[in-house]
Amino acid sequence: MNTNNILRNGLLILSFVLMTVSLYLVFVFVPTEREMGIVQRIFYLMVPTGWLALLSFVIIFIGSILYLVKRARKWDILAMSSAEIGIVFTTLALIVGSIWARPIWGVWWTWEPRLTATLVLWFIYLAYFMVRSLATDPERGARYSAIVGIIGLVDIPIIALSTTLWRGIHPGPVIFSGGLAPPMLLTLMVSLAAFTSFYFLLLQYKVSAKNDESLINTLRESIKSR
Amino acid sequence: MNFWHTVAAITWKDTISEMRTKEIVSSVLVFTLLVIVIFNFSFGATQQTMKVVAPGILWVTFAFAGVLSLNRLFVPEKEQDCLEGLMVCPVSREAIYTGKMLGSLIFMLVVEVIALPIFTLLFNLPVLSLQIVTITVLATFGFVVVGTLFSAVAINTKAREMVLPILFFPIISPVIISAVKATEISLAGGSWSSLVPWLPMIAAFDAIFFVVSFLIFSYVIEE
Amino acid sequence: MENAAYLFTAYAIVWAVVFGFILVLFNRQKKLRQEISSLKELLQEIQPGNKS
Repeated sequence: MNTNNILRNGLLILSFVLMTVSLYLVFVFVPTEREMGIVQRIFYLMVPTGWLALLSFVIIFIGSILYLVKRARKWDILAMSSAEIGIVFTTLALIVGSIWARPIWGVWWTWEPRLTATLVLWFIYLAYFMVRSLATDPERGARYSAIVGIIGLVDIPIIALSTTLWRGIHPGPVIFSGGLAPPMLLTLMVSLAAFTSFYFLLLQYKVSAKNDESLINTLRESIKSR
Repeated sequence: MNFWHTVAAITWKDTISEMRTKEIVSSVLVFTLLVIVIFNFSFGATQQTMKVVAPGILWVTFAFAGVLSLNRLFVPEKEQDCLEGLMVCPVSREAIYTGKMLGSLIFMLVVEVIALPIFTLLFNLPVLSLQIVTITVLATFGFVVVGTLFSAVAINTKAREMVLPILFFPIISPVIISAVKATEISLAGGSWSSLVPWLPMIAAFDAIFFVVSFLIFSYVIEE
Repeated sequence: MENAAYLFTAYAIVWAVVFGFILVLFNRQKKLRQEISSLKELLQEIQPGNKS
């Protein structure tokens, strides 16, 4: 319990410090990109949310495999918690992507490879939740969603590759092809670190809330049986 | 009994019972034809538009037909509790998966063998070429490889007819993209080498998901 | 500069969601902890009564 609290408080402080620094970097420090102007700064939001959409799924994958092999409820709790955070960040990535598309390409939605792949990923997240809630009992639901978690992660690189090839290889904005100026790179890295730290904070909250819920259930059972 | 004997026995059992009832193949075939006709209505059948939309129509039709037939795949087992019977037998779960998967591959291919010439006839397009047959076989294999796994998942959920497409479509989206693109190139008269990024993509999907589904299937039907 | 609105909208949405998320989780945690402690008390009240 105590180490949990230390971990949580540490993450809380780290997240807020990093977030503040990243806000400073994004709005004050970083130079404005010449061609796209000020909107380009959305980039420092788009990449971290997209990254968390992926990271969450990687954690789901790990939790799912361990659950299927070891059959300990804690692994299912880990995967489930990560999914609940992941779908929020995937939704955010889609929204931010859409806000980016409007000034840059003049439309709210475009079948740009990364956006398309994120949309498919969002549907896989949905499938993960649907199969769990529609299964005939909770143990089955955990097993089935673990299967979606594993198949889904294996599918992500194939989806990314196929959507990229599908739209044709056209010269994307310089920003994606690695030509990032050092101050921009620094800003991006700090933003990524800040969001990653936030993810683990949220994960810690979710997992401990789910543990508390099952503790409450066992306590209720033992009260009833008396 | 070794592995492949078991697989063959399960596939054979499915094929025989299907030949008796013709439940899946006939209904899916009628569905396929209806979808083709309805697409014809909605796009106005001029030759130029057809050339553009035909690959999409072909693969939307086959994907829907796939869901329809995969939904039925474990229904007999479920209704008569045969899966429990199979699992009591000293048969590996992997053999059950492979057997069911091959059975469903056969049903789908039968439907497509009939649908492709009709498609050629109605749309006046040369879809019955060696290239398109190759694409069809590869993509259909991709469909049934993950479809069999998800069909076994969906059968034990409430509202199973809804669960299967929700699981199935996002996962097979790379196959659909690749198959549509490859069909488009082939209809435009492209050579085999111009199909290169797409055919290997489908083949890779097939290989990867055959292995993963094969390994994971035992966790689906374990109770 | 006319595009700055997009930038601020994007940041506002993401920050609102992230903070809302944290707040919801924080409150839920508090409630759960309270319930656990009240259940534990209840359990302890019942236990000696049963034994004696």
